[in-house]
Formats: sequence, structure tokens, C-alpha cells
Amino acid sequence: RPWRLFGAMCLLRLPRITQPLEKEEEEMAALMGQIELEKSHYSDHEIRKLEEEERLKRRKESLYDDEDDATGKTVIMAQDLEDKWEQKFLQFKAAPRITDDDKKNIRTSLNRKLDSNLMLLVKQKIGNQELWLLPQVEWQPGETLRSTAERAMATFLGDHIQAKILGNAPYGIYKYKFPRAIRTEDNVGAKVFFFKAFLQSNDFTQTELKADYLWVTKNELGDYLKPEYLKKVNRFLLD
Amino acid sequence: PCRAQPKKKKKVDVRREQAQKDRMKKKLKKLEKAAPELIPIEDFITPLKYSDSSRVRSLPPLSPEETERRVLLLKKWCLFKQKQDEAEKKAIQSLVESQQEALKELRLESEELFQAAIRRDEGLFPFQRDGPTYTPPLAGYDPPEGKCVDVTKVYTQ
Repeated sequence: RPWRLFGAMCLLRLPRITQPLEKEEEEMAALMGQIELEKSHYSDHEIRKLEEEERLKRRKESLYDDEDDATGKTVIMAQDLEDKWEQKFLQFKAAPRITDDDKKNIRTSLNRKLDSNLMLLVKQKIGNQELWLLPQVEWQPGETLRSTAERAMATFLGDHIQAKILGNAPYGIYKYKFPRAIRTEDNVGAKVFFFKAFLQSNDFTQTELKADYLWVTKNELGDYLKPEYLKKVNRFLLD
Repeated sequence: PCRAQPKKKKKVDVRREQAQKDRMKKKLKKLEKAAPELIPIEDFITPLKYSDSSRVRSLPPLSPEETERRVLLLKKWCLFKQKQDEAEKKAIQSLVESQQEALKELRLESEELFQAAIRRDEGLFPFQRDGPTYTPPLAGYDPPEGKCVDVTKVYTQ
């Protein structure tokens, strides 16, 4: 067989926060809220609020204050409750959606672009060129292609990675022929089979064996991959 | 005389008890044959206090500009969703095509690898994943304490 086989792993870190809404989605959400408000009835809290407002108005308009002051007890109004809840909400500070790593554009950290998928890219030496690729390793006879892909992942990230590989079948293929200098009867070119996996473990001590690695989104792939390779990879990436 | 009377009492009692037991069994069978009572779904029954007319909200009626704006927005939404759906379908189609091509090439290479690739992955399902939230998890956050008392009514058939 003239083709050499490689198994490559496309490791995806799934998004941690929701994507921002488009303009139409925001308008629609506002409209839905309005319609829901119009079609609804008053709730217990709202009725209580209305009654208390009525009572306040009557007390202000009437010349003499009767029962409410005579009893002397302080009544908690619904409006006070609402103010208290609003205060409590303002005191809570949520974690920022755009992290520090986003602002500094540190592409090697996993903590950036929390609302999109991140893929692992490594710099590998193919022939005599150093290229940015999805981690790949040559297939050895006696193992399935899926275990080749797992081995590729393990060589670059260590054994303690928990990743869910989606099925036994490859997702894409990239075929290339070697330049004429290296080509022989038995060794025309190589076929790289891509597999997809979801990263499960959140933080891991990144024991990188070969130094250069990056976590990039689908849009940033174009900065690093060769055009033909990129075309084949883009076919099986949903985003 | 002393021997005969107690014997009669026993027989009559036994027969009466037997008749009572049979009647009880017949009643039990009738009850079991009757269809089991349906458990009421509490979400579908609106409590009567919410159908009071005093609860109806009083808002100013919608102006014609407002209705027109709403209709146009709904049409835009329709178009937006249609485009979104088409894009998704196209992406899935391209993924399936890419996979088919990969499998075809694999078959040309070696039959055994192809068979290994086609095999069903048992460990894949059931697949569980927590969905994305609006903000990322806050490191070192201590949620406030509270007690939750469950007051759901449990019905037995």
C-alpha cells in the first residue's frame, strides 16, 4: 500500500457561557416579555402593592390619620421589600464574561473565549517544515485508528486527559502526496484521518512535551493552518 | 342434651363466618375491578382564586403603530430563524459528507480498519453534559445557607 496513515485528534473545549444574543433575538425577547405581561393577571405581591399604595394615598388626602397610627406598629410595605431585594442583587458581583486572558489575547490558555469552542493546535515537524497542525501521530499496524488518535492526544497532553471521543469513525480526511524528492514506489503520500473529542476535565496541569501549542476558535484557525488543510478541517467543525 | 347443643352452635358459626368471608371477598373483587382513580395533575387545574375579575390587569390599549411594529418584528424573526435553520442543516450536511468521504478512503486503504471504524461505540451513550450558563463560575463563591421544605402532594393509586 503506497499511502502512510496518520491519526489526528481534534480536541474541542466546549463553551462555558452562552453566546451573546443577536439584535433580532433581543428584540424578540423583549416583545415576548411584553406580551406575557399583557396577558397575565395580577399576582399576590402586586395586589398587596396596589392596596398599600391606595392606603397611602387615602392617608395623605384625609385630614386626620386614624387606625394606622393609633396601633403604632410598623408595617412592612411591599415597596420596601422590593427595594431590599434590589439592594441585595446589586451587592452580588458575578464573574466577568470576558476574562483577562481574552483582553491580553493569550492564546495558550484555556480561559479565553468562554462562549465558543476551542481547538488544540500543535507545532509539528513534517518532512523538513515546522507546521501548525491538529496533533497527529503515525498509525502502527495492530491498532485501530481511534487508538492512534488517542495516542496522539496522550503524547501531546499526557495521560490524565479525560476526553469523550465521539465514535469510532473518522470525521474527515486530508490526503497529500510527498514532494517528488521523497516519493518512492511504496511511499506516495500520506492520509490523515481526523477524529473529534470533547474535553471533559476542566483544569489540568499542562505537562506539554513538545512546547508549542495553542487553543484557537474556528475563526482563528485560518491564521495558522495551510489553506488546503483548513478547507478539509472546516468541513467537520460545526460552529 | 349437653353434647348436642354446643355442636350445632359451632356449625352455624362456621357457616356464618364462611358466608361473611365470601361476602367480603366479593366486595374486594368488585373494588379491584373498578378502574383506578386518575391522579390529578396539579399544574393543569387553575385554583379558583386566580379567576377573580379583580385580578385582571388594566393597561392602555395598543396603538396601531405598536401593532404594526410587532407584526413586522414577527416577520423579521421568521426570516432570521429560517436562515439560522438552513445554516445549521448545511453544516450538518457537510459534516456527514466529510465523514462519508473519510470512510470511503479508509475502505480503500484496509478493510479491517474500516470494519473497526464502523463498529458501534458502546461507551458513547448515555452522554451527559452541563449546559453553558450566563456567567462563568465564580472562584471561591460561598452560596448563602437555606432550608428547602418540599410540600409536593404525593398521590397513590
